[in-house]
Amino acid sequence: MAEATLHTAPLDKARLLQWLQTYGVYAGVALLLVVNTVITPHFLSAENFRTQAVQVAPVIIVALGMALVIGTEGVDLSVGAVMALAASVTALYLGYGLLPALLVVALFAAGAGLANGALVALVGVQPIVATLALMVGGRGLALVLLPQLKDLHNPGLASLGSGDIAGIPYLILIAAALALLIAFVVRRTTFGRRLLAIGDSRPAAQLAGLPVRRVLIVVYVLSALLAAVAGVLATARLQASDPTSLGNLMELSAITAVVVGGTPLSGGRVNIGGTVAGAVLIQLLTATLIKHDLPPSWTQIAQAIVIVCAVYAARGRGKR
Amino acid sequence: MRRTHRPHLLARPALVVVAAAVVLAASGCAKSEDDVSDSDKSSSAAEAGQKVVTPKPGSKSCTIEAYGGRKLDLKKGATVGFSQSEKEANPFRIAETKSLKDEASRRGVKLLTANAQSQFSKQISDVQDLLAKGVDLLVIAPLNSDGWDPALKAAAAKKVPVITIDRKINATACKDYVSFIASDFVEQGRRAADQMIKATGGKGEVAILLGSAGNNVTTERTKGFKEAIAKKAPGLKVVFQQTGDFTREKGQQVTEQLIQSKPGIKGIYAENDEMGLGAVAALKGAGKKAGDIKIVTVDGTRSAVQGVVDGWISGVIESNPRFGPLAFQTLDTFTKGEKVPQDIIIQDSAYTPDNAQQDLGKAY
Repeated sequence: MAEATLHTAPLDKARLLQWLQTYGVYAGVALLLVVNTVITPHFLSAENFRTQAVQVAPVIIVALGMALVIGTEGVDLSVGAVMALAASVTALYLGYGLLPALLVVALFAAGAGLANGALVALVGVQPIVATLALMVGGRGLALVLLPQLKDLHNPGLASLGSGDIAGIPYLILIAAALALLIAFVVRRTTFGRRLLAIGDSRPAAQLAGLPVRRVLIVVYVLSALLAAVAGVLATARLQASDPTSLGNLMELSAITAVVVGGTPLSGGRVNIGGTVAGAVLIQLLTATLIKHDLPPSWTQIAQAIVIVCAVYAARGRGKR
Repeated sequence: MRRTHRPHLLARPALVVVAAAVVLAASGCAKSEDDVSDSDKSSSAAEAGQKVVTPKPGSKSCTIEAYGGRKLDLKKGATVGFSQSEKEANPFRIAETKSLKDEASRRGVKLLTANAQSQFSKQISDVQDLLAKGVDLLVIAPLNSDGWDPALKAAAAKKVPVITIDRKINATACKDYVSFIASDFVEQGRRAADQMIKATGGKGEVAILLGSAGNNVTTERTKGFKEAIAKKAPGLKVVFQQTGDFTREKGQQVTEQLIQSKPGIKGIYAENDEMGLGAVAALKGAGKKAGDIKIVTVDGTRSAVQGVVDGWISGVIESNPRFGPLAFQTLDTFTKGEKVPQDIIIQDSAYTPDNAQQDLGKAY
């Protein structure tokens, strides 16, 4: 299929599309940086870059998990709800200290991931439906556990949210470390290979004797754990647990980052570098429009244009 | 392709049990941080009730004869229904529902409540349910202003008087409903502007953190603020207005962008307390000191008033959620056969550095 399009379309156009698919998102980021340097006052400052990076860090972390799930030809709509759940569980268990609270959060997130994974891998429910259930139920549970916003005063949590090493906030360091880790997992480990094989063709992976169910469950657990990390970091930054609004529409931001970053929704391929750049692209776009005080509706329109461009670049390509 | 597994059909009740167990286990051994403010929260039973702005002469009123209901005595076994619009997940709604419940028990009136969980269709059926349960009087906190015809017709058919609180219904007063009790959001915006002018000295650039788009609270609080600024302090310029969606997180993010791109900003007007507290978090994160940038907010929640005490917030305009006493008093007067005003506007107070400490107990 892919080869057929390559032959029929003019060579230059095909090459351009290929190039756009792989490097378009980086070009977009570079373009926004240049444009902002020229038109936005006070853009070139360490302070500004730190703000943008800190704001985008939770989105990147969630998008990493989303990229893995999309790599298996699935989707995880429950990430925003898991963030909210992480926020409310953090507030609920902080009395025991930060570390025990984080352990309980991890337990809850793993449970959510297991539920998703089991529905997809064992029961055979479509990922979009399986995770939709938890998207609705997870936030409900978060609100049952903590019905209203709660201020948190734990010094450990506060420093997690606003502390830094040599001027680089923990949030950025954590996001970068996780991105490197996930990239390594996808490229260099058996698990990563199996994940991509399943996304490419689940029946073929099954016939080849891969542990399809186990890999799928682990992927959904990873996605939930990453979402929980993002939820805890966002809570730490705000110094308040707000399960009503935390992580709202996060699933869409994460999917946007993954798709704009050049990972096809059809599975079998994961582009971690592109995913990070995709999240950064949307962040810079939003920042540009806010800094120039344009109406918020413009941000949505601009995002839509970026998504359409990304999908256009991916058009006509096969799975590989 | 796949055979249907019997086990997962059986698993359904088990799933419910598991979910219930999770909730129980989670809340059973949970231990949250000790919250100092919790203790004095309960002690502040000395709630600030609502005062009415003195009605202008010639403003319309309503009597039971004009409305077409029957007289009754609130004290003798009357049942009042209350339909709440949003989940009691924010301080305003919590205080609002609590105030009605407290007043009902104080007066010994039976109160039935329903919560629409932000779904308008549910609120209509809530009202119909309350009517079916035989309430004599209705208090509604409407989610929307429009689309009330079926519910109001059902109430009219049973001759049940309706009072709406905090948002207005687009219908005829004294015909479709008796009266409307609320704050004047435009006035709140104007008073926020006064605070801002006082805090900044009437000169410099200010920013607005808008509420959710397409919400009448947002439009009216913006309108009042801008009007007053334009009239009283031409030296004050609104150079930035972006939505923070009434949430703390968005308020923080937008303020972070704001102070980067406009370092000379002197004041921030947040259209609710949550966004204002988000702005405070952003300023703290950027290493600013309390009072560097003047923040004025609207609502009057405890955390924001504490912010005034700590010096981070320059003024909080109250939007009083305690409708209980006023709503019941209006119902009482009306059902006795005396006349009540059609529009009842509440007097909102304000918290400034002068009174924040002593009035902290009044905040909700």
